[in-house]
Amino acid sequence: MKLFARLRSWFRWIVKPQQLENEMETEVRFHIESYTADLVCKGVPQPEAMRRARIEFGGIESHKDAMRASLGLRWWGELCADIRYGVRMLRRSPGFTTVAVASLALGIGANTAVFTLAKAALLDTLSVSNPESLRLLAWTQDDKSVVSSMWGDFYPDGKGHTLVASFSYPVYQQLRSQNHELGDLFAFKELGGGLDRLTATIDNQSETVTGELVSGNYFAGFGVGTVLGRPIEPADDLAAGGGPVAVISDAFWARRFGRSSAVIGKAVKLNLVPITIVGVAPKGFTGASHVEVSPDVFLPLTMQPIIAPKGDSSLLNDPEIWWVQVMGRLQSGISEKSARASLAVTLDQAVRATMTVPKDGTLPPLTLIPGNRGWLSYDDRQLQQPSLILLALTSLVLLLACANIANLLLARSASRQREMSVRLALGAGKARILRQMLTESLLLSLLGGTAGLMLGYLGRNAIPRLLSASWGATPIRSQFGWPIFAFALTISVLSGLLFGVGPAWQATRSIVNAGLKDSAVTTTHHGKGFAGKTLVIFQVSLCMLLLVGAGLFVRTLVNLNTADMGFQQNGLLLFAINPPKVRYPAPKNIEVLHQIEETIAPLPGLESVTLSESPLLAQTASNDGFFPDGQPRRPGHEQSAMLNSVGQTFFATMRIPLLYGRSFDFRDTSTSPKVAIINQALARKEFAGISPVGKTFKTEEEDRYEIIGVSADAKYADLRGDPPPTFYVLYRQQKDARHGMTFEVRTNGDPGGVVGSIRSAVQSVDKDLPLIDVRTQTEQIKASIAPERIFAAVTAGFGVLALILASIGVYGIMAFTVGRRVNEIGIRMALGAPASQVLKMILRETAWLAAIGIGTGVGVALLLAQFLRSMLFGLKPTDPSTLAGAALLLFAIAMLAGWGPANRASLIQPMEALRHE
Amino acid sequence: MGKQIDLLQGTLDMLILKAVSLGPLHGYGVLLRIQQISGEQLEIQQGSLYPALYRLEHQGLIASEWGESDNKRKAKFYSLTAAGRRQLHSETEKWNRMAVLIASILRTTSEEV
Repeated sequence: MKLFARLRSWFRWIVKPQQLENEMETEVRFHIESYTADLVCKGVPQPEAMRRARIEFGGIESHKDAMRASLGLRWWGELCADIRYGVRMLRRSPGFTTVAVASLALGIGANTAVFTLAKAALLDTLSVSNPESLRLLAWTQDDKSVVSSMWGDFYPDGKGHTLVASFSYPVYQQLRSQNHELGDLFAFKELGGGLDRLTATIDNQSETVTGELVSGNYFAGFGVGTVLGRPIEPADDLAAGGGPVAVISDAFWARRFGRSSAVIGKAVKLNLVPITIVGVAPKGFTGASHVEVSPDVFLPLTMQPIIAPKGDSSLLNDPEIWWVQVMGRLQSGISEKSARASLAVTLDQAVRATMTVPKDGTLPPLTLIPGNRGWLSYDDRQLQQPSLILLALTSLVLLLACANIANLLLARSASRQREMSVRLALGAGKARILRQMLTESLLLSLLGGTAGLMLGYLGRNAIPRLLSASWGATPIRSQFGWPIFAFALTISVLSGLLFGVGPAWQATRSIVNAGLKDSAVTTTHHGKGFAGKTLVIFQVSLCMLLLVGAGLFVRTLVNLNTADMGFQQNGLLLFAINPPKVRYPAPKNIEVLHQIEETIAPLPGLESVTLSESPLLAQTASNDGFFPDGQPRRPGHEQSAMLNSVGQTFFATMRIPLLYGRSFDFRDTSTSPKVAIINQALARKEFAGISPVGKTFKTEEEDRYEIIGVSADAKYADLRGDPPPTFYVLYRQQKDARHGMTFEVRTNGDPGGVVGSIRSAVQSVDKDLPLIDVRTQTEQIKASIAPERIFAAVTAGFGVLALILASIGVYGIMAFTVGRRVNEIGIRMALGAPASQVLKMILRETAWLAAIGIGTGVGVALLLAQFLRSMLFGLKPTDPSTLAGAALLLFAIAMLAGWGPANRASLIQPMEALRHE
Repeated sequence: MGKQIDLLQGTLDMLILKAVSLGPLHGYGVLLRIQQISGEQLEIQQGSLYPALYRLEHQGLIASEWGESDNKRKAKFYSLTAAGRRQLHSETEKWNRMAVLIASILRTTSEEV
């Protein structure tokens, strides 16, 4: 209550300072005049009465000051004065202010942009009620696990096993109905990965959308409703195909329906199945899998057999294929341990009830993992190291900027020594001067922070854009909200303090007497030059660190870009086609793909057309068993190879040379004997010393192939590493093309120019088949090395920035040193030292600074570079040529920066210098 | 005019509250009333009254209003607020307890120890 009264009174006078002055004046005048009048009444003569009244009242101004202090206005007034003074000081040296604000803006802007990314990658949680209590059910798979068939993402658990979060639908139902301590279990399945996307036909227009199959209690379990219509309810999820309804995401609603409320009840087709839209999910809700992007549509899980069929039978009754993710909430008062234990028992029972367990088979051991980031975003742990490295690098840049400003401030405080001495002599307290200096620093850092925030805002999408494939959705959505502002404000204030405290402390140590004499000799004591030089050495070593980092990442990118891929990437256009199962059950899907291949091939502008199950360098690959006939099966010997199912002209179109034997040709049809081509790596591994052509082998499913040729090695899924042992088979000789196929089209000119004619050609085959992920092979490769490109671009930028900041630092300190030694240099020259000797003397000092800084930087870089090992390609973290290159560059730039002051020193006229104080 | 007593540290606020509690007063009036009820025995430096008045108003113990003085001049009148009345009450009690205590200590003779 009292505090409130104070705040109200404080605020009242803050906004009306003039009224306060008037009122005080009136009140004091009234007092003095009344007293004078009383004295006159007592018989004192008027002039004498007035004099006495004034004397007895005391110093009017000092009382007024005390009155202002009583209202708590004093520190405010002082702050205003400090800020006004600070602004004036900054405006008086625009060069300094510009450099300081610009370097801070770059430092803070870079930090803000990286923090935005790191926050999204590491900190954000699902926007549902109480995400911290969510637990995702998972288990670790070993060799003897009874579960062998899975559909979904799984991750290495770091201990040599695989972490899986998929369950069979019968097991989920058993888990849900049995007793356990983890609340009601709800289930979901993402349909967004790769070609699992759905084809949506809305108003006779088809496009691909992402989806999530969800159990009937999913929305209730998350505590999430809809902004329009109703959520998916248990009644929608009772029987296979029984709930042809969908809830759409806010983004999809805006993108496709312009936020029209008429969307409720609208009939659309998903994978050619009629579906009614019943609700719109709230903005910010991203489903259970990601924290960043929402699936476009949510459908009942029981729609799986109809909308996203896998094979012939429904997964709802299939105990063998494990594919749904299950989440529950930890109830208050129940420990995670006991919840896990009770659920593990239930899981064992459920597995035994639904599957036959062989004698030595292991049951899936249950673990609970935090569900607050969803399952797919769980894998963002991978982003942890790159994010932390980027954060570390950006904070080095900011540190460098701070060191730079501290250095400039130190030099300035030398020139402001007289001002400080005057203030101290006039009775200003040290605390008051410290506060004044810090106010100026904070003013500077807040200016820099504001500019940095703007830079960060402009650049907020730069990194996510670099990360995302140009043809796909941005995986990470940068949200520019309060946490970002708070972060920018915090680092601005921290850096203001960091670079401000030293120089401010220095300022209070001014010696009044010496300062007032204003002599160059007495005002600069040894300590200041030393502090400045230490700072510059620090700057040079930071710069060295950043340069080494930039060198390593840029060379990694160069190595990746120039790596021999084994095929010709230029002029290739890629797109995928995924014939929906409803219309094209196997093997009809293969027929329609072949029909499309034949339709496209004669189009003008096309050199050749082929297709493959996995596009190259897209981080997808298949593998299968590889058992050459006539060779005994060797236990312990890895008898599998990578596999790609391709079109007849694959090798010609991709320009992969054939070394022995023949390529696929017209003789190889869907009914002819099965043939395969193996690459050199596989030939070397399985057929050392003998010709593989004409040999036969079997795959896991006992299909027998004859090897007709050996191709040169080509990279498959990943640019890193050697091409894996691979065999290629003809897609037309396969039973199914489960996930659709990717077409590779070699064009004569611009690959983009033929998209239109291809699209209409495909639509002439079936108007409901969209081209998916249209891109060039070059774009595909660029996307596969997106993190490396980001690191190279960002660190190279930081390197340049660091060079600029360090050269400003070197220039500043050398100019300061020369200025301080004008007298000495003058004497030297008067005594006969030639200009070249002076030049050398100053340059030698620069060289020492640079050398010490570079040496320290190299030492630290050698220690820290180990953390980068896993992110480099084709070079070691201690790559000598990178280190030497960075050191030479930095040394050259430092010497260049020191040249100006040195040159000025050599031009000093002895007479002028000696007269100079 | 008898011998004047210097004001004890921190008692000025209490005296102002007391003076104002008897009816709204302007600053000069507060001074006069304190002098009057103390029998002209208290020495208050006139100017230092105002910082104290402003502090009390800032704390919400007194409120002010512009009005007209006896000689038809514009003057600022101070009056006690509810919070001020409570404060005066508790200060008075504290003061009285203290006074009794100090007096009893000072009355102590050697036999009583």
